[in-house]
Amino acid sequence: MSIHWLVILPILLPLSGAVFGLLLRKFARLQFSLSLAAMLVALASSVGLLIYTFNESPVVVQIGRWPAPAGITLVGDLLSAFMVVMSQTVLTTGLLYAVACRDKCVHYPAFYPLFLILATGLTGSFLTGDLFNLFVFAELMVISGSLLTASADDRYGVEAAYKYFYISLLASVFLLLACGALYASYGTLNIADLARRIQTSPNLPLTQISMVLLLAFFMVKSAVVPFHFWQPDFHAASPTAVSAMLSSVIVKLGIYGFLRMTSLLFLEQAGLIRAALIVLGCVGVLLGGFSAIGANHLKRMLAYSTIGQIGFILVGIGWGTPLSLTAALVFAFNHSLIKSAMLMLAGAMASRAAVKSAAFNILEGIGKASPLAGGLFLIGGIALAGIPPTNGFISKLVLFKSGLEVQAFAALALIGAASALSLVYVLRAFMQIWWKMPTSGVKTKPDGDRLIAPALLLGGCVALGLWSEPLIGLSMQIVNWMAEPGRYIQAVFGG
Amino acid sequence: MNLWLIAPLSLLLIGILLALAAARRKIAAVRLAWMLAVWPAAAFACLAWLTAANANNSPLTLSYAWLPSLNLSFSLYLDGLSALFALLITGIGSLVTIYSGYYFEKDDSSWRFQSYLLTFMAAMLGLVLAGDVITLFIFWEGTSLTSFLLIAYKTSDEEARRGAFKALFITGGGGIAMLAGLLFIGITVGDMGYASILSGGDVLRNHPFYPAMLGLIAFGAFTKSAQAPAHIWLPQAMTAPTPASAFLHSATMVKAGVYLLARLNPALGFTDLWFWLLSLFGLATMITGAYLGFKQNDLKALLAYSTISQLGALVALIGQDTEIAFKALVISILAHALYKSALFLTAGIVDHETGSRDLRRLGGLARAMPFTATAATISGLSMSGLPPLFGFLAKETQLATSVHPGLPPILNVLFPLVVVAAGALLLGQGGLFVYDVFFKRPADPKHPVRGHEPRWGMWLAPMIPAIISLAVGVLPEPEFLASFLAHSAAASYGSKVKVSLALWSGVNIPLFLSAIAVSTGSLLFIQRKRIRPVLQAFLPQFSFNHLYDATLRGGDALARQFTRLQNGHLRFYLSIMLVALGIILWLFQAIPFDFLTMQPASSLLSVDGLALLRVFTLSMAGLSAFTTIFLRRDLFAILALSVSGLAVAVWIALEPAPDVALVQIVVDLLATVILVLSLTRLPRLQREKAREFTYRQSRPGLLRDGLIALGSGLLVALLVYISLQTRPHESLLAPYFAQNAKPLAGAKDIVGAILVDFRGFDTFFEIVVFASAGLGIHMLLHYAARKAGDHEDPEPTPGPLKQHPVTGVAGLPTSPLLHLLAYALLPLAFLLAVVQLMYGHDQPGDGFTAGVFISLAIGSWYVIFGYQATKQRLPWLRSGYLIAYGLLLALINGLLGAWFGSGFMAPLNYGQMLNLPLPQGFYLSNAFIFEVAICLAVLGGATYILDNLGRPRELNLESDALLQAIQEEPTTQMESETT
Repeated sequence: MSIHWLVILPILLPLSGAVFGLLLRKFARLQFSLSLAAMLVALASSVGLLIYTFNESPVVVQIGRWPAPAGITLVGDLLSAFMVVMSQTVLTTGLLYAVACRDKCVHYPAFYPLFLILATGLTGSFLTGDLFNLFVFAELMVISGSLLTASADDRYGVEAAYKYFYISLLASVFLLLACGALYASYGTLNIADLARRIQTSPNLPLTQISMVLLLAFFMVKSAVVPFHFWQPDFHAASPTAVSAMLSSVIVKLGIYGFLRMTSLLFLEQAGLIRAALIVLGCVGVLLGGFSAIGANHLKRMLAYSTIGQIGFILVGIGWGTPLSLTAALVFAFNHSLIKSAMLMLAGAMASRAAVKSAAFNILEGIGKASPLAGGLFLIGGIALAGIPPTNGFISKLVLFKSGLEVQAFAALALIGAASALSLVYVLRAFMQIWWKMPTSGVKTKPDGDRLIAPALLLGGCVALGLWSEPLIGLSMQIVNWMAEPGRYIQAVFGG
Repeated sequence: MNLWLIAPLSLLLIGILLALAAARRKIAAVRLAWMLAVWPAAAFACLAWLTAANANNSPLTLSYAWLPSLNLSFSLYLDGLSALFALLITGIGSLVTIYSGYYFEKDDSSWRFQSYLLTFMAAMLGLVLAGDVITLFIFWEGTSLTSFLLIAYKTSDEEARRGAFKALFITGGGGIAMLAGLLFIGITVGDMGYASILSGGDVLRNHPFYPAMLGLIAFGAFTKSAQAPAHIWLPQAMTAPTPASAFLHSATMVKAGVYLLARLNPALGFTDLWFWLLSLFGLATMITGAYLGFKQNDLKALLAYSTISQLGALVALIGQDTEIAFKALVISILAHALYKSALFLTAGIVDHETGSRDLRRLGGLARAMPFTATAATISGLSMSGLPPLFGFLAKETQLATSVHPGLPPILNVLFPLVVVAAGALLLGQGGLFVYDVFFKRPADPKHPVRGHEPRWGMWLAPMIPAIISLAVGVLPEPEFLASFLAHSAAASYGSKVKVSLALWSGVNIPLFLSAIAVSTGSLLFIQRKRIRPVLQAFLPQFSFNHLYDATLRGGDALARQFTRLQNGHLRFYLSIMLVALGIILWLFQAIPFDFLTMQPASSLLSVDGLALLRVFTLSMAGLSAFTTIFLRRDLFAILALSVSGLAVAVWIALEPAPDVALVQIVVDLLATVILVLSLTRLPRLQREKAREFTYRQSRPGLLRDGLIALGSGLLVALLVYISLQTRPHESLLAPYFAQNAKPLAGAKDIVGAILVDFRGFDTFFEIVVFASAGLGIHMLLHYAARKAGDHEDPEPTPGPLKQHPVTGVAGLPTSPLLHLLAYALLPLAFLLAVVQLMYGHDQPGDGFTAGVFISLAIGSWYVIFGYQATKQRLPWLRSGYLIAYGLLLALINGLLGAWFGSGFMAPLNYGQMLNLPLPQGFYLSNAFIFEVAICLAVLGGATYILDNLGRPRELNLESDALLQAIQEEPTTQMESETT
C-alpha cells in the first residue's frame, strides 16, 4: 500500500461515510455507527500521517499523477497533519455528542452525512496544497455548516445560518478574488509554486492586494475582530454538536492560514502581517473577554470567549519567535479540546431546562441536580482561564514565556489582564448554573449520556495539563519545519 | 535527589482518594475524619523524620523532567523554611481534619468537605515543598481553587458565592501577574529551579527590569497574603465553614505570599525597592487589620482582621533584611499559626454549640465549656502578646526589629509606632474574644446563649496548639526547636541567624515598648464599651470593597457596551467587514495607485468585428444588474438578475469560451427557477414585510451603503483591470494543458480536460458542495421547517385538488398541448445529456450541464403536471439516492484509477484496455464515468431542491412519521428510568 493513502484517506473516509450514510438513510443506528467508524478510521489514518511525517518526511500526492503546478497537489506536512489530527479528534467526539444529545435535528436522515461532509471540508482544507482547491473545501464547510445550523431545533437557527452563510460567502469572495489576482500575477495556484514565485518577485502590483484578501478570508474563518460577527449570533442557535465544531476546530483554519502565509507564502511581508495580527489579536482579546462578561447566554458567552482565545493565538503568531509559534500551536490544540467540551456541556445543560435554551436566566440553578456536569464545567472553565492542572495553563505558560523572551510587555500586560476576564465570566457562569437556587422549581430532565463526549475531551485536557511534553515537543518540531519553507517547496516539486 | 520527598504528597493523595471513595458509602463523619486524619499525620511524621535525619541541613531535592522541551521540571525542595511551613500544614491539617469530623457530625456529605480540605492540604504542601517556581505556581493556583470551593461550601448562600468569587478573582488575578514575574526571573537566571534563582540574586537585582519582576511577584504575594488594599477578600472568605477558615485563612494559605517573599528574599531582597515596598505595604496592612478588627462584632471577622494585621507584620519583617527580622519572622509565623488556628477552632465550637458568633449576644460560656474556654484563653492571651506565652516572644522580637538602628528616618518612628499600636489593638481583640465570650455575663440575662462542651475530639483540636503555645513559653528552652527555627530563618535570610526562645531578654527598649502596648491595650479593652461604638461610627462606609465593586460594575458596563456591538443586523456586519477590509488595504498600502498612469495593454483596446456585440452584452449585463436594485417586486428583480447572468454568458461565448458559456447559461436558468419556486413558498405577507424592510432606509444609511457598494465594486474592477494589464503574456499552465490534454487525458477540449482530469479533484468536491446544498435544503424544508410549525399553505389553493387528476403548479389546469411538450422535453433532455456525457470530452458540454438539463426538464414536469402526477410518472426519481449513487460512483471511479492506474483519480481508458469496439470520438475512460457520476449527483441535488420547493404542503408523510417518532423519543427507557 502506497504511503500516499495517508493523505488521501483522511479526506475520503469521511466522505465515504457520508455517501454510505445517505444510502442507509432509513437505518438510523446503522447510519450513525457507520459514520462513527468512518471518522475513527479517518482519525487513525491521520494519526498515521502525523507519525509518518514526524519520523520520515512530508507526504505529497499529485492527484491523478498530474505533475505539480498543473494538477492538484495534496501536501501532508507536519503542520497540516497536526491540524488534521486535532480536528478529527474533536470531530469524532462531536459525533459522539450528537448521538447522545437527543436533539431533534440529529434524527434527520441527512444530519450525519452533512456532518461528515463538514469534516471532509475541514480535513481537505488543511491537506490541500492548492489555493483554489482550498476554496472548494472551504465552500464545502460553509454549505454543510450553514445548512446543519438552519435545521437546528432552535427557532433562530435559520437566521443564524443565514448570517453565517452570507458572511462566509463574502469571505469566499475574498478568497476567490485573491485566487484570481494571484493567478493573474504568478500564473499558478499551487501553494508551493506560488511561494516560490512570490519569493522571486515579491512586489508585483497585485501581490499586496491578494495578500490582504487572503488575510481577510482567514480572518473571517477564525472570527478575528472585526470579522468576528458571525460567531456569537451563530452559536446561540446552532445545534450543539455543530457549534462545538465551528467554535473549536473550524476557527483554526484561519490560524493555519496565518501560519502558512507568514512562514511560506508571503515571507517578504510577513513582518507586516505579524504586526497586524498582534494588533487585531489584542483587540480581540479585550473585545472577546468583555463581551463574554456581558453575554446573557451561555453559548454566546463561549462564542465571545473564542474570539478572545483566538486573540491569544494571534498574538503568539505575531511575535513570530520559535517559542511563540510553539505557544500558538499548543494554544490552538488545547483550545479546540476545551471549547468543544464547554459548548457540549452548555448544550447538555440547555437540554435539561424546561424550555430548551442556554440563556442564563433559564439555566439558573439548573445544575444543582447534576454535580458531574458541574465538575466538568469547572475543569473546562479553569482550563479556559488558564489555571493548572489543565492544558489551558500549559498554553498560557508557553505563551507568557515566549512573550517575556521577546519582552513584549504591552501585549503581555493586556493578555494577562484578559485572562483575568476569562476567570470572571467562567466563574460567574458556573456559580449561576450550579450554585444558585433554581427559580421556581423547574423540572429538569436527566443528563443521559450527553456528558460522555465532554468528559472524554476534558479528560484529555487534564491529561495534557499534567503531561504535555509530546504536544510541546511536536509543536516545536512543526515550528522547526515551518522555519524552512524551502523544504516544503522541495517536497512538492521534488529534487 | 531524595525520593522520600514525594512521600508526604503521596500520603495526602491517598487521603483524598479515600475521602472520595467514601462518597457513596455511609460512613459516620467522625469515623471518616479519624480515618482521614491518619494521612496528614503520617505526612507530618515523614516530614519530621526527613528534617531530623538531614544532619547537615543542606536542602533535600527531587527533580523530574516534566516538560524537557521547555526546560521545565517538576521538582521538590525541602530546607528549613519549607520544613517549617510543611510541618505546620500537616500538623494543623491533621487536627483540623479530626475537628471537621465532629463539626460535620450530622452531615452526610462530610466526605465532600474532607476531600476539598485534603486537596487543599496537598496543594498547600506542594506549594511549600516545590523546588522551582513553576511547580510552586501550579500548587499556588491549586490552593486558590480549593479555597474557592471551600468558601462557597454553602453554595446556595449568596454571600458565600460572592465571597468565593471575590477571593478567587483577587488571588487569581494576582496569580496571573505572579506567573509573569516568576517566569521572568526564571528566564533571566536561565532556570526555574530555586538553586539557580537563589544564587542568581546579583543578576536579578542588576537587571534593568528588576522593578517589573519584583512588582509582579509582589502583586501576587500581596493579593494572596491579604495585604491592604487587597485584603478585602479575607473577611468575606469567612463564609467558609469554620474548620476551613481555621486552616486556610489563618494558618496556611494566606501565608503562601509570605512564604514566597521569604523564599525569594535572597534573590530579590536587599534592595531599597524591596525594603520600601514590603515595609510600607506591610505596615499599612498591619495597622489597618488591627484597627478594623477591633470594630468587629462577629468572632470570625474579628479573627480575620487580626490575621490580616499579623500578615502585614510578617511582610514588613521580610522587608527589613536584618538578622533579627528573620528571627522575628519565623517565631511570629509559628506563634501566629498556633494561636490563630486554636482561636478559630474555638470560635467554631462556640458557633457550633450555641448557634451564634456575635460578641453582643455571647457571654459566660466558661462554665459550660471549660476545656474550650481554657484553649481559647491561652491562645487569646498569646495573641495579645502577654507572657508567658509564645505570642509574647513573637511580639518582643517584632518590637526589637522595629527599633533596630539601621532604619531610615521617618520609618524609625513609624515602625515602632505601628507595631505598638497594632499590639495594643490586638490585645484589645484578645480580650474581647476571651473575656466577652467566656467570662463576661451574657448581655441579655433573660435569654442567655446556651451551650455545652462538645465531644472531646472537637475541643482537643484547639487544645493541642494552645498547649504548645504555653509550653514553648513556660518550659526550659527547647533546644531542637530553636535550632530548627534558626535553620528556617537562615534559609530565608540567606545567612546564619541566631534564634533563642528565651522569654526574658533583659530590660531594654522592646520591653519598654511592650509595656506601652500592653497598658494601652488594656485601656482599650477596659474602655471598649465606649471606644468601639465610636470606632464603629467613624467612617462606617469607608472600605476598599467599594473600589472592588466599582471595578466590577465598571467592567460590566463596559461589557454591555461591547455586546451592543453585536446588534444582530447582517447589513451592519457586512458593512463593517468591507470597511475593515478597505482600512487594512489602506494601511498595508496595498492598492497600487500607479495603475492610473499605466498604459492600457493593447489586448484591452483591440477592436474586432464583435466589438459592437460585446458592448451590447456588457451594457445588458450591467444595466440589468443595476435594475435589480430598483425593482421593488421580488419576481421582477429575480428576472432582471437572470437577464444579467445570461448576458454574461453571451459575453463569455464571444470570448470565445463555449464550455463556460454553456455552464453559465444552465446555472443561470436553474438559479432562476429555484428562486422563483422559492417565492411560491413564502407567504405574501412575509414578502411584503421583507420588501418594506429592504427599502426602509434613511438617507445617510442609503449613502453609506451606496458608498460601501461603490467601493467594493471599484476594488473588484481595479483587480480585474490590473490583472488584465499585468498577467504574464504566456501562461505557465496553458502550454502544459494544451500539450497534454489529448495524449494524456484523451480530450480535445482543454476545458473538459481541466475539469475532469487535471483538476478533477476540484470538480469532485464541487459536486459534493452541490449535492450538500440539495441534501441540506431537503433537510431544512422537509423536517426542520415543519417541526418549527411551518405548516400553513402560503397562498390558499383555489378549489380542491382532487378535481383535476392532473393539475399544474398551484392547482391550475394545464392544456394537453403543454402535456405533449413536457412528454417530448424529458426524452430530449436525456438524449442531450447522453450526448454531452459521451462527447463532452471533445466537445463543449459536460456532466454538470447534462445533469442540469434533465433537472430542468423535470422541473417543467412539476409545473405542468403538478407534484403528485410527476411523482407517479417518474418513480425512479429518488433524489437522495441519486446523490448517493453519483458520489459513490465518483469515489469508486477514483479508486479504480488507483487500482489499475497510477494513483487516485489517475486517467484510464477502459475502452482501450479492453479493446472494445466503440463509436468514433467516444472513449470509455474513467473521465467518462466521472462525468456520469457528476451528472447523477447534480441531477439528485437539483431535483432535491426542485422537489422540496414544488411540494404542496399536505404531502409530508415521511417527515411526519419521523417527527412523530422523535417527539415520542424522550420517554424511552433511559429517560423514564432516571426521572
